[in-house]
Amino acid sequence: MTVTIDGIPCACEAGEYLLDIAARNGVTIPSLCHHGGLPGQGCCRVCIVEVEQGGWKNIVAACIYPVERECAVFTKSERVIRQRGMVLSLLRAAAPESAEVARLCEVYDAPEYERFVKKPKERCILCGLCAKACQSLGTGAIVTVNRGVEKAVSTPYDEPSAVCAGCKSCAEVCPTGAVEVIEDGINRTIWGKSFPLKKCGGCGALTGTLAELERAADKAGAEIPALCNRCKQKSMSDVLASTYGW
Amino acid sequence: MTRTVLVCCGTGCIATGSLSVAEALRGEIQKSGADATVETVIKETGCNGFCENGPIVNIVPDDVSYYKVKPKDAPDIVKGLGGEPVRRLLYRVDGKPVPSQKENPFYAPQHKIALRNIGIIDPAEISDYIGRGGYEALQKALAMTPDEIIGEVEASGLRGRGGAGFSTGRKWRIAAGYESNPKYVVCNGDEGDPGAFMDRSILEGDPHTVLEGMAICALAIGAAEGFLYIRDEYGLALKHMEKAIRDAEDKGILGDKIMGSDKSLRLTVVRGGGAFVCGESTALMASIEGRVGEPRAKYIRSVQRGLWDQPTVLNNVETLANIPVIINEGGEAFARIGAPKSKGTKVFALVGKVKRTGLIEVPMGVTLRHLIYDIGGGVIGDRPFKAVQTGGPSGGCIPADMLDLPVDFDTLTSYGAMMGSGGLIVMDDRSCMVEVARYYANFLAGESCGKCTPCREGLRQMLIILTDICEGRGKDGDVTLLEEISATMLDSSLCALGKSAPNPVLTTIKYFRDEYDAHIGDKRCPAGVCPKLTAFEVDPALCTGCTLCKRTCPVGAISGELKTAHEISESACTACGVCREACRFDAIITAPKRRCGV
Repeated sequence: MTVTIDGIPCACEAGEYLLDIAARNGVTIPSLCHHGGLPGQGCCRVCIVEVEQGGWKNIVAACIYPVERECAVFTKSERVIRQRGMVLSLLRAAAPESAEVARLCEVYDAPEYERFVKKPKERCILCGLCAKACQSLGTGAIVTVNRGVEKAVSTPYDEPSAVCAGCKSCAEVCPTGAVEVIEDGINRTIWGKSFPLKKCGGCGALTGTLAELERAADKAGAEIPALCNRCKQKSMSDVLASTYGW
Repeated sequence: MTRTVLVCCGTGCIATGSLSVAEALRGEIQKSGADATVETVIKETGCNGFCENGPIVNIVPDDVSYYKVKPKDAPDIVKGLGGEPVRRLLYRVDGKPVPSQKENPFYAPQHKIALRNIGIIDPAEISDYIGRGGYEALQKALAMTPDEIIGEVEASGLRGRGGAGFSTGRKWRIAAGYESNPKYVVCNGDEGDPGAFMDRSILEGDPHTVLEGMAICALAIGAAEGFLYIRDEYGLALKHMEKAIRDAEDKGILGDKIMGSDKSLRLTVVRGGGAFVCGESTALMASIEGRVGEPRAKYIRSVQRGLWDQPTVLNNVETLANIPVIINEGGEAFARIGAPKSKGTKVFALVGKVKRTGLIEVPMGVTLRHLIYDIGGGVIGDRPFKAVQTGGPSGGCIPADMLDLPVDFDTLTSYGAMMGSGGLIVMDDRSCMVEVARYYANFLAGESCGKCTPCREGLRQMLIILTDICEGRGKDGDVTLLEEISATMLDSSLCALGKSAPNPVLTTIKYFRDEYDAHIGDKRCPAGVCPKLTAFEVDPALCTGCTLCKRTCPVGAISGELKTAHEISESACTACGVCREACRFDAIITAPKRRCGV
């Protein structure tokens, strides 16, 4: 099956998402709430494109729109530029401290509305990727709470989570760097809770929080590794070298 | 012979004391001694619709209806049974008391299908429902093939009563076409539009018709399990529905081997947690599954992948209530009622500044004027009509010059409003349309799920701008900006809530632009509603010095002696408007605020 994206014919399978098809064919569609390792969410609406099919033209979110039939996709139509511009302007007011949102506003020429009231010191765009990541790891320490304009990401009752292991996967997937992580060489503080960090027995590099290493070891039914991955590889290659006399 | 005294025990009448009325009537009948020829039965029924005149008592077969009944009226009512009706409790048309609902202008033009049993049966008694022909349609459907059932529903032209108006028959046909099992049938009872109580009344007053509709749907699509999602605030509806399911299962009508056939249907009531957005079908299903009630994109429809990713038919309460009638009378008979593309009847909750408020059912295609003036009796105090808000937060405000539009699925939509699920809020010249838009923006800002940017952030900015306009901080260009935000919400939001959320703003801008301009340009609220832009004055020529305003003013801002013109202190007045509502001589007038709070 073939769809055309901005006139470029792109081969694809039925059920594939437009964002993936575009990426494979070298067409850039901006997005914020999408992460390759997690299912699409369609909530930031930055990846909106126009799809023409059977005489209809609709705005869809490319990250969750599955291609079922051949269609023509436009990522730079006047309608897309206008709506995406407004979406980005709204996001800039919601997260004025986000460099990534500011960059996208610049690249995609989002109009600046003086009238919009900015949230002070905010970087979060409430896409919920952090909560999705946490949930998919089986932790579920953070969730989106409340609804409407009161929506937020938080631990239960805003208190330090009992299940959080400080693995900072939430921070890793966050598109706007909104999850605050403080490390001082001894502890990592995240979501209002401090976790002691473990050092590699070889090189002394930080390998993660004790809690996350314990949890991973527990799941695997093994001991907490004494060395970091690098040192482990080195020690194994040392053993091999001495065994075979390389 | 049996005479039945039907005491309305819908939520409205219970609130005005109908349970004690029923109790008093029971006591009185016992006291009066049994009549050898007539057995008198007291029944507690569902909502009669004319809630503002409750508690309502109907006597059949005599066809006498009493309104605003108090427990102390019980002796007179019992004495009058079979004889002369109690005149003081009858409804009056132009001063003349009328015993029959057929002569009551609120009831006479109505055509009841979905509400056919409500007010007549005791919703807690399955035998009452069966006595009115209940579950005959299910029996009939059991002898039909799924294709035949769907054929009847398609022929009826029935469209979803929740607001979107999708063809019910087609929805069933698509779901029936999928081979994947299990399939589910879901009843959407998460009614949440401000001022709407259509589904509530059906769930409370005739629960079995909903169950029968669901059972027929289950036969048609091949489902053996279903859910009724009812908002937790509807306590009576939940109680009646849970009892109805138990009773139907005990009688072998639901559960395993329904009515002795090889078909089964397990129905479960799920209590909604009070989120408006859970009325959206995909959010509702997420909620049933135990997930956060957030909608998903409907690129794959829930008839294909709904509850637990299985084919699911979700129908509104009122839609389901029509199904037994369609199966019994045939789809074609049903299609003869209503408008060309909107068949059948529609239940409306007629509220606001209208003389006769309540729940009504009329054939689709009647005009708004007929609803508001003929049935509703016109605007309270015969004030000028300004607008009617239809369809709740997804709908719009329709001005006076469009009162002759037919009410159906498509006409109002083409004017930017929508018939929606059936809420009709009538507004007079003392309603501020900018404030109405602000009210709905505020409602939705709190009730949006907050998942997608256009809806959450669009509503946040919209609410700030509308509040500014109402409080005298409106700026040039605000209206254009509201329109631009609206355009993006309509086009780019994830679900129907966001896509329709700008409708109240857009319709008020379209039809009442002058009010926006007055608020922004002149810092004046023409309707005298927005407190920061309104001052009240007493017109000394009209004031009779009755002191009513002085006594009702909550802040003591009005001074004046009996029989002399009163005065309002602008510095003390909070412009709440209570005095203006109270004044019977229209002597309280609005004036531009001198010290505008900008």
